[in-house]
Amino acid sequence: MTDLVIARKSVALTGLSRGLGRIRHLPWTLVLGSVLLTIYLLVAITGPLWAPYPYDRVGTGKPFAAPNPKNLLGTDQMGRDLFSRVVHGASHELFMALTSTAIAVILGGFLGLLSGFIGGWLDVLIMRLFEILISIPVLVFALLVIMAVGLEASGNELLLIGVVALVYLPRTGRMARSVAIDLVTRDYVMVARARGESAWSIVWRELLPNATGVLLVEFGVRAGYAPILIGSLGFLGLGVRPPTPEWGLMISENRANLVAAPYTVLAPALALSGLVISLNMFTDGLARVLGRQVKRV
Amino acid sequence: MQPNGPLIEIRNLTVEYWQGDRWNPVIEGLHLHINPAETLGLVGESGCGKSTTANALMGYRPRGARYRSGQVLFAGQDLLRLSNRALQHIRGRQISLVPQNPTTALSPGIHVGDQIVETLMVHRYSATVREARERALDLLVRVGLPNPPIIYKRYPHQLSGGQQQRVIIAMALACDPQLIVLDEPTTGLDVTTQAQILDLLMDLQASYGLAMLYVTHNLGVVAQICTRIGVMYAGQLVEVAPRQTIFKQPLHPYTQGLIASVPRITAPKQVRSLLLKGLLKRSDLPPGCPFAPRCDFARERCLVEKQHLTEVGESHAVACWRWQEIPSFAQRIAETQSAVFQKCETVGCKAGEILLKVDNLCAAYTFDHPRPFARPLPRLIVDGVSFEIQPGETFALVGESGSGKSTIARALNGFIPYVTGELRFDGKYDLTIPVDKRTRDLLRELQLVFQNPDASLNPRQRISQIIGRPLQVFFGLSGAALRRRVEALLEDVRLDRSYYDRYPDELSGGERQRVAIARALAAEPKLMLCDEVLSALDVSVQANIIELLADLQAKRNIAYLFISHDLAVVRSLAHRVGVLYWGCLCEVGTTEEVFTPPFHPYTYLLLSAVPEADPDQVMPEARKDIGLVVSEEKPACPFALRCPWKDPMHCNDEPPPWQTLSRTHMLRCHIPIEELRQHDIWADRFGRV
Repeated sequence: MTDLVIARKSVALTGLSRGLGRIRHLPWTLVLGSVLLTIYLLVAITGPLWAPYPYDRVGTGKPFAAPNPKNLLGTDQMGRDLFSRVVHGASHELFMALTSTAIAVILGGFLGLLSGFIGGWLDVLIMRLFEILISIPVLVFALLVIMAVGLEASGNELLLIGVVALVYLPRTGRMARSVAIDLVTRDYVMVARARGESAWSIVWRELLPNATGVLLVEFGVRAGYAPILIGSLGFLGLGVRPPTPEWGLMISENRANLVAAPYTVLAPALALSGLVISLNMFTDGLARVLGRQVKRV
Repeated sequence: MQPNGPLIEIRNLTVEYWQGDRWNPVIEGLHLHINPAETLGLVGESGCGKSTTANALMGYRPRGARYRSGQVLFAGQDLLRLSNRALQHIRGRQISLVPQNPTTALSPGIHVGDQIVETLMVHRYSATVREARERALDLLVRVGLPNPPIIYKRYPHQLSGGQQQRVIIAMALACDPQLIVLDEPTTGLDVTTQAQILDLLMDLQASYGLAMLYVTHNLGVVAQICTRIGVMYAGQLVEVAPRQTIFKQPLHPYTQGLIASVPRITAPKQVRSLLLKGLLKRSDLPPGCPFAPRCDFARERCLVEKQHLTEVGESHAVACWRWQEIPSFAQRIAETQSAVFQKCETVGCKAGEILLKVDNLCAAYTFDHPRPFARPLPRLIVDGVSFEIQPGETFALVGESGSGKSTIARALNGFIPYVTGELRFDGKYDLTIPVDKRTRDLLRELQLVFQNPDASLNPRQRISQIIGRPLQVFFGLSGAALRRRVEALLEDVRLDRSYYDRYPDELSGGERQRVAIARALAAEPKLMLCDEVLSALDVSVQANIIELLADLQAKRNIAYLFISHDLAVVRSLAHRVGVLYWGCLCEVGTTEEVFTPPFHPYTYLLLSAVPEADPDQVMPEARKDIGLVVSEEKPACPFALRCPWKDPMHCNDEPPPWQTLSRTHMLRCHIPIEELRQHDIWADRFGRV
């Protein structure tokens, strides 16, 4: 039937009114998720410019002050402004989550597609290796990696990004491989093989364009969990070092004061869960739109 | 009309589907009735609204659809206004459905017998479960399933497609309905299985006096089993008539074109100028007759004035105001008979020139391991097949599904792990080497086209990339030269240049198949392997692609290995035919030789199962056929298990000899030629009317 006409043509179309008209047909999760994500991104980029205080300025108010016009979200035990710290933290959080996930999805996606297409012993080797990595509990695995690199490096943001990427890589790799082993049975892949194309060319031209939908969704889901993982590491003291305004670290530092001054924990916790929820809503909506497209094909 | 009036009547039905931003009519102002004990056939091409009509008869509203106007009157009630609860008492009880795909219609985890019992109990047709079981067993006998107690306890996956469809029919019959709606019930089945199901339906109709609505795109099937036929186009009924009338004197130009498009096994000629031109574009239909943009006889008035069915003869109605002015079908055919398309008859003369020589080909996907550490035995799908193809000729392989046709094509392409035998291509290439080890020239000269263009075109590539890629790989073209060549190829397959930047899902099925053909042509091959290239297409599109393939062959001298299960298509396209059964060839010859007696028993069986779009022909009942049998032990003659004329003395044990009838015609059978000559399928088909 011809009742499935929207998506790709619509991408090519321009014009604001048409764009607005189309938003009505998008899943609400995608719309809300993108709006929230945009806010987070704006805060991350412009935040340092307009935040009321530097993140490490002590004594901006009395310690453990409740929210008041001067300190919008109150202060912590050293009198640092929590609002400013949360705003400054956004860029750390987003940068680490997005880069680590991107590395994992690109590398994992490539390895997975190649492994699924070539098959045989290479497939067995890569997949068993991935499975071994997946079988280790996430936090234990992250701790092992940090230990192996050396505790003295544990505050490094690049190391954290590497750890998260390494945790996610085998998982996205398996996902990409499962897509590839379905795609390689398609006739167009057979035609490409009968044309004498190289494995690289088939993965690049024939498989990747059809796997991008799945990989994008995978990226979104993983990026939504990355702040939690980074936060957990921060909480355990293996993340970034104080006084960096990383949200997980802030929760950890202030947990002893949870009853006395709940704002100190609530502010970073709400910011973190808001980010996770908006990333999840965005991917949920994206998956639906892409699913619609895939069904059409 | 009948004294008691029709059994069910559709009045002025308009159905619309939600298409993203607005309601689009799929059926407009449809009037239709079915009389008691009548089989009404509803035919038309895909997307014409046949299945939507069938749904409406069940009072079923699919997701995203709405009934804007109209009534479906059954026993004094309007089914479209009934509550779901009220409909439950009618569906399955008084009106039942046989869907297209039996595999998905049966629940996989329940014994098939219990599924019939469930129907009986839900409708309280049987008072007790014991009674229902007895009736279920009885029904299984009546739909011709052997050994009902065993079938009763089977799960759906343990039955063949034909058996599954019989179970569905038993379920539909369970509560003695007054009407059965059959929605393409034989479309996924082999011809031989289809023939059995049609036999069964005709028997049931004769013995129960059921009314049936038979929805299909296959004109041959309706010609065999329907009493009255309705032709649909773009959601409207354009012609309704008794079957003799519709096939002999169709009045609507669309009906004429549709009937002329159907390939015949008896008359291999196609009437070219009668073929339907263009495509149904639902997005821009004129306010008047929907067929007007494609019609040869259209006038201004056609485009603006709605056409309604008007009685023109005894129970013959047509929706065309010019029906009296349009030349009759017989006249149009007679005028254009000379313009049939020509198969190049030069083939066969150039003796000695051989493009592809296949000698004793054996192929297998998997291996059996009889004992640990013993040498693994290949499980042969193709078992000793030999044939030759000359340059520029079309060699067709026919057989049922599972006979190994596609495996041969894959073996030639080097995709099969186990291949033995001598495969020589173009004198210098050995085709037993796998695809990764072949030279670029060999890859270029051997191209393949698949059945389903949805799967063979990458949905994320533009048409220009799809057709352009082989040009880059084989000829190193790029830039403007590449673009020119792609556009020339688009023209060769009669597609507009504007398709250059499109994606496959913006094209219709027939257009996509043209793109697939263009991609193969781009490599300038000497041999094209066409694996069921026409099976997924509508008849009018099929006819156009057949014509295209014939033209390309004449121009470029390409040889085709044409794999098909459709004997009518094969007869109209192929120069020579090989008949394949269970991995072995049983008859090879020129098309004329294979299609005239003497026949190999399997060829006879295949030909007897084809429903021809001609109500004067019948499908001989000579076969008590059981369908493709694959047992553990393959008898010496693979066909012995099914052969109607087999001699138990030696058919099971001695391999049959090749009997040579002419330089080109050989068949492999124990039965003497003189005896085979007595079974003339054409006499049998026309004989008992």
